[in-house]
Amino acid sequence: MKMMNKLGILGIALAGTIFVGCRAGEDNPGLEYAPQMYHSVPYEALSQIKDESQGSWLSNREDEKGEFFNSNVNNPHWMNMREPVEGTVPRNKSGMLPYRLKAFELEQAALVENPLTVDDAIIKEGETLYTQYCSACHGKGGEGDGKVGEIIGGVANLKGGAYINLPEGHIFHVITKGKGRMGAHGSQITPENRWKIVSYVKQVIQKQ
Amino acid sequence: MLSKRSLVGVPLKFHTLALLFFLFLGGQAFAADPAVSDSEEAIAAGKTVFNANCKQCHKLDQKAVGPALRGITDRRSPDWAKSFIKNSQAVIASGDDYANALYAEYNNLMMPSHEFLSDADLDNLLSYIEYGDKVDPAASAAATAGAADGEGAGGGIPTEYLTIIVVVLVIVLLLILIVLGLIISILTKYINKQDLDEEDKEFISQKFQFGKVLKSDAFVIIVTALVVALVAKTAIDGLYSVGVQQGYAPTQPIAYSHALHAGTLEIECQYCHTGVDIGKSANIPSANICMNCHMHVQNVQGQEGVSPEIQKIYDAIDNNQPIEWVRVHNLPDLAYFNHSQHVKVGGIECQTCHGPIEEMEVVYQYSSLTMGWCIDCHRQTEIAAGGNEYYDKLVQLHTDSKDALKVKDIGGLECAKCHY
Repeated sequence: MKMMNKLGILGIALAGTIFVGCRAGEDNPGLEYAPQMYHSVPYEALSQIKDESQGSWLSNREDEKGEFFNSNVNNPHWMNMREPVEGTVPRNKSGMLPYRLKAFELEQAALVENPLTVDDAIIKEGETLYTQYCSACHGKGGEGDGKVGEIIGGVANLKGGAYINLPEGHIFHVITKGKGRMGAHGSQITPENRWKIVSYVKQVIQKQ
Repeated sequence: MLSKRSLVGVPLKFHTLALLFFLFLGGQAFAADPAVSDSEEAIAAGKTVFNANCKQCHKLDQKAVGPALRGITDRRSPDWAKSFIKNSQAVIASGDDYANALYAEYNNLMMPSHEFLSDADLDNLLSYIEYGDKVDPAASAAATAGAADGEGAGGGIPTEYLTIIVVVLVIVLLLILIVLGLIISILTKYINKQDLDEEDKEFISQKFQFGKVLKSDAFVIIVTALVVALVAKTAIDGLYSVGVQQGYAPTQPIAYSHALHAGTLEIECQYCHTGVDIGKSANIPSANICMNCHMHVQNVQGQEGVSPEIQKIYDAIDNNQPIEWVRVHNLPDLAYFNHSQHVKVGGIECQTCHGPIEEMEVVYQYSSLTMGWCIDCHRQTEIAAGGNEYYDKLVQLHTDSKDALKVKDIGGLECAKCHY
């Protein structure tokens, strides 16, 4: 009887240590409950698993690969995301066509007009977007005094004489393609949002 | 008397030396064109012009994005400087050797034209460039030393001190134990010398029997209960952690620090995680977004050379190889989650779910991401329906009743909202 007791306690202790091992931490994601319901069958954009044998212990896939294998072998680097087909144009609500001017075509860009009818809501959104995408370098007030800007150096003071009178199209072009030490932000910000930022910069920061 | 004199003498000598040194340096550094005014007003007015237009790229005595400016009227004429400031491209195009050499030295980086500056502005600017804010070498050295001191003090108590404190405490406690033991033995001896009856003697001379205590029922019961409770708690905790990846902090291919980028440098989350407002996923930035800054920033804290971690970005771009970041938050596929719905529509801060990201060197999963955790928030969070007429009547109904309109009231607890 005593023996049984001791064995029982030992068993519980062993179970305890095993369960502690299930806990996630550092490189260990922890034990999964019902892994077949956790892992995506369709391609997942951001959880690519390239190891073909991962999850083979419970796999019943027809291609005999591991249950968790999730990579599109037809794509370069087996990536799950694909770039759009060359020459195609994304359709959007506002009907804006892609921006075609090249980085050096600043003079033509200056002629492009803001397609948005600017109101308070757009200015407010522009302010949020400006804070998110511009203020790290150009600073909250546009004086080129953001914390990242201090490290990079050469950040334009949007209120400075060289910049304050620039047309909206020029600002839009520089956000899209970059200029001087500024990188191109066209991949990060949608055209509509870029125009909102332009509106905010023109109407609030560069208000004279 | 003698000692007093020497006390005064030493700092005096040092002071004179420093002054001489400074004068020598100052005289050596440049000789401005005599046409440039050194009046206080001109310098002050020039400083305003400089701060508004030039300081982003130029420093007076150091190379920055563009060259150091002091002494330009000595190296070239004031008129040359003015025309270059007004329209550098025109000067370069005119075939001026000095201008072309400068342009090439600074990687053909174009300086914006400043045609809007008046001649008076330019004169003031040149005054400031030549005579303004001269750096006193002794003062700047003191400033750097002071800054270094401040940094040392700001770090808090180092771990070594903590260990030493703990060791000292343990030693002190041991000493107290020994002293107490001594006191007991002395007291026993003293009492034994007195005349005592049997009972008292027995009480004094009794030995502490460890074995007896160990075998006593009370001890066994207490210890068993403790062990069982402890094991049960670990087992239950362990069971609850199955399928919960809270605390998961995988090593990433690049030792990217959110504490540095989002914390110290205050870059907004959305700058890199561009999908958060428009899509299901917040998105991991591609290398071209890193390069917006890292084409200029090649090492941390202004160190020379290329940091090995930043080099990995350059390698990825050169070899057209994606950086394979390890996903931290693996929400089970059986549940649907959409970032834009929560961030854009719900207006929830990133930190509400992701925790103090701006303090994390390595990102870990802060929240449990269990269903209970989701539901809990849906039960408590009020709907911000402002500007959305669709909910006007519902909001009115809820304002009339006691409870405000919460996520649970518009389907936040429906199974099929997240599981389908």
